Amino acid sequence: MARLLFEWDYSHHPGAQSYPHLFKPIQIGNLSVPNRIKYAATEDNFNTHDGFITDADVAYMRERAKGVVGGLCFMQGVYMDPGRQGQGYVGQAACWDDKFIPGLKRIADAVHAERAVAGFQLMDCGRVGAVDVDYCHGPSAVPQRLRIFKPVQEMTKADIQDVVRQHVDAARRGVAAGFDMMEISGIVGYLISNFISSYTNRRNDEYGGDIRGRMRMVVEIIQGVKKVCGPDVPVGIRLCSEELLDDVRGNTPEESMETYQIAEQAGADYISCTLGWQESIYPVISRDIPMGNWVHLAKRAKQHVKIPIQMAYRLFKPGLPNEKIGAGELDIWEMCRSMIADPLMPKKVLEGRENEVRHCVACNLCLARLFRDAPMTCYINPVCAHESHPEFMDPKPAQDKKRIMVVGAGPAGLECAYMAARRGHEVHVYDRRGVIGGTLNEARNAPYGDDELWTCVEYQQAMCAKYGVQLHLGAEVTEALIQDELPDTVVLASGPVYPQLKAPGGDHPKLVNLLDVMSGRAPVGRKVVVYGNRKPGIGCALHLAKQGKKVTLVGREKSAGFDVNPSFKWRYLIYMRQAGISAYNDCVIEEVNDEGVIVKSYDGYRWPVVCDTVIVSEREANPSLKQVVQSEGIELFVIGDALVPRNLSSAVHDGYRIGMRV
Amino acid sequence: MPVDAEKEITRLWRALHAAQDEIGKTYYRWRQVALESAGPGAKPLDVGLRAAEVFGKEIGKGFLPRLNWLKGEEAFLMNLGRSLADIWGTEGGIAAAEKGAAAGEVTIRCTRDPWPSWAKEYGVPMEEVALCRERMFQAIIEDVSLFFNVPLKIELVKAIPRGQGETVMRLSKAA
Repeated sequence: MARLLFEWDYSHHPGAQSYPHLFKPIQIGNLSVPNRIKYAATEDNFNTHDGFITDADVAYMRERAKGVVGGLCFMQGVYMDPGRQGQGYVGQAACWDDKFIPGLKRIADAVHAERAVAGFQLMDCGRVGAVDVDYCHGPSAVPQRLRIFKPVQEMTKADIQDVVRQHVDAARRGVAAGFDMMEISGIVGYLISNFISSYTNRRNDEYGGDIRGRMRMVVEIIQGVKKVCGPDVPVGIRLCSEELLDDVRGNTPEESMETYQIAEQAGADYISCTLGWQESIYPVISRDIPMGNWVHLAKRAKQHVKIPIQMAYRLFKPGLPNEKIGAGELDIWEMCRSMIADPLMPKKVLEGRENEVRHCVACNLCLARLFRDAPMTCYINPVCAHESHPEFMDPKPAQDKKRIMVVGAGPAGLECAYMAARRGHEVHVYDRRGVIGGTLNEARNAPYGDDELWTCVEYQQAMCAKYGVQLHLGAEVTEALIQDELPDTVVLASGPVYPQLKAPGGDHPKLVNLLDVMSGRAPVGRKVVVYGNRKPGIGCALHLAKQGKKVTLVGREKSAGFDVNPSFKWRYLIYMRQAGISAYNDCVIEEVNDEGVIVKSYDGYRWPVVCDTVIVSEREANPSLKQVVQSEGIELFVIGDALVPRNLSSAVHDGYRIGMRV
Repeated sequence: MPVDAEKEITRLWRALHAAQDEIGKTYYRWRQVALESAGPGAKPLDVGLRAAEVFGKEIGKGFLPRLNWLKGEEAFLMNLGRSLADIWGTEGGIAAAEKGAAAGEVTIRCTRDPWPSWAKEYGVPMEEVALCRERMFQAIIEDVSLFFNVPLKIELVKAIPRGQGETVMRLSKAA
């Protein structure tokens, strides 16, 4: 009889009717899990630099545990060697000594407090490790493809035995700390995947050679960990179903499936199906990859093994995993980024509050931060990394109820509005447009997945409705309106202004407005110059290039996409190259004339670019109404692009914080 | 204000050549520093070869993200040969990669090389120029070989002193 840790009855919840397969139990090893939901182990850089658990990490995990509603909640992978070669992140939790057990226990207890299954992960980061020491370790000293990683030292057989022992010891500590399930991380370029891959394992001894030899260390680890975990604590492993390393002669998909079978034979109780390495040249999880793109790999994995298969990777919404689980093509729906963006996502789904889910927009800012030794944060969730701060998690009701006028129904204004209303204020949002969303109405038309950004507005709309925000659409705020209404507070969230080009010919008829172009209102010639090489300009350039236009991007920034996070920027640069877009960075438009424009570089070189249309995507802060509000003695806040033109994330974060304060 | 193309191109051309000229001069200034720091016992050629090795290792790191085995062995070797030839190009030389005489060979031919002129200016023997070039390319190839698990070699076939004629190198799979 399988062990059940906590009883859950989902039958009276609407989500269990809509998504019946997500909320049915499954047996993993000897453990019965009430549903098919898993928060997958994710680094967060919240812990001390010597590996001790912090309050921030405990609070972060507790929130995710609440979200899985009885499912699996895995803490981040721990490194296990005192030499710290296996440590891949500055704030990664450690488990190389018993002294770490009390801290780890706090996480297990926090997860149990929410009646969820606490998972522990063992993660030696291998060739992407050694974040604080000079050399990382691996099966062979294969040079690094990415400069950010340290040189690799080839492990001796004694080193390999040490690593096996470290996994076993760490597993024992995990069990002692109270965790219910054990997971070995063998993915994306970490040590175990280094041993498995023909790309990084060139050994001729018993730990190299064919796929069985390359799996030998993994088998020894699984067997050793199983032994200390005993029959009650299932042991799983995360393994690549496709490495996407064919350009450097990595494993074939067939070899990867063989690793699944070997892991199962070694005693693994489940496999988490992953794909890609940090060194792969293919994108896997960025927004340009359609949702559900990889779920077929779970089906293939299930055709090769009998143990349960779990998978994440662009499965942000419950419909598809529910369908795949129902069809027997997947067993557990894993989530990382979607529960960074909204830790309560599955709980909201269960409770029939799907419209209140703040969806991940797959920007990968969270990952970009981790690789730059910064604590995790989220582009779209202002509360992420503040789980231990009550003022963020549960802002206090306002002591003085105010009548607040928010000018602009874009992401900044809506975010501020619902938060202020939630705290008890009377909030009115005005927008001269007849629709909500501000400039995101146009920005969402940029290609490669930008329509997903709109989920932010949908969430805000639901929250505004929930907290009674009054929308006044099609109503422009004027001096007279402010004087008539005389609100207690005005929040200016009116978006940026798109100024006229300050150069000779700046009023030439070939200049058109960015928003008009993105909405399809303005006619655009065959040859186009887009001025401004930040995200709005790039989005517009790609949008037009997809229509077959010859596009030249000119901008002041030293590199195009200065404001796009590095984990996503490389995708845009590739798309720009593929679309034949010429980019002149560190340049300005010196003149617009009948033939086109004259571009001037930072060091004074000048050249003509022939074009039919010029689109200015550069933006400035929007000072309108500021003086009026101040002259009336009304409390004033300016947020979002109206304050400083930036991005969607800044708009949301500005809005939330002012909503908390006002 | 119309663009005077000739004026713009001339300015740009001069600036490019001045920058290229600084590459060799800066290298030989640093060579002098290295020799002085190493003391009277140091052999200039050994110091030069060591520098070529360090440079090659560093440049090789930049090759790794760009090379791709998927295009097949022949295309892989040709891309590698072109990347090596481009190093000469950046420095102001004229070099190109072409199919070699035998299958699986790529010939890199440099018909204009600025290094002998710089070496002459700083009193460096011409032999050192050729040997350092060979060593630097070998150091690049070392990491590429290791990374792709393909044994490669590169040899200096012909080097003409004072930069006249052409320098020829042969890139191939090692036995």
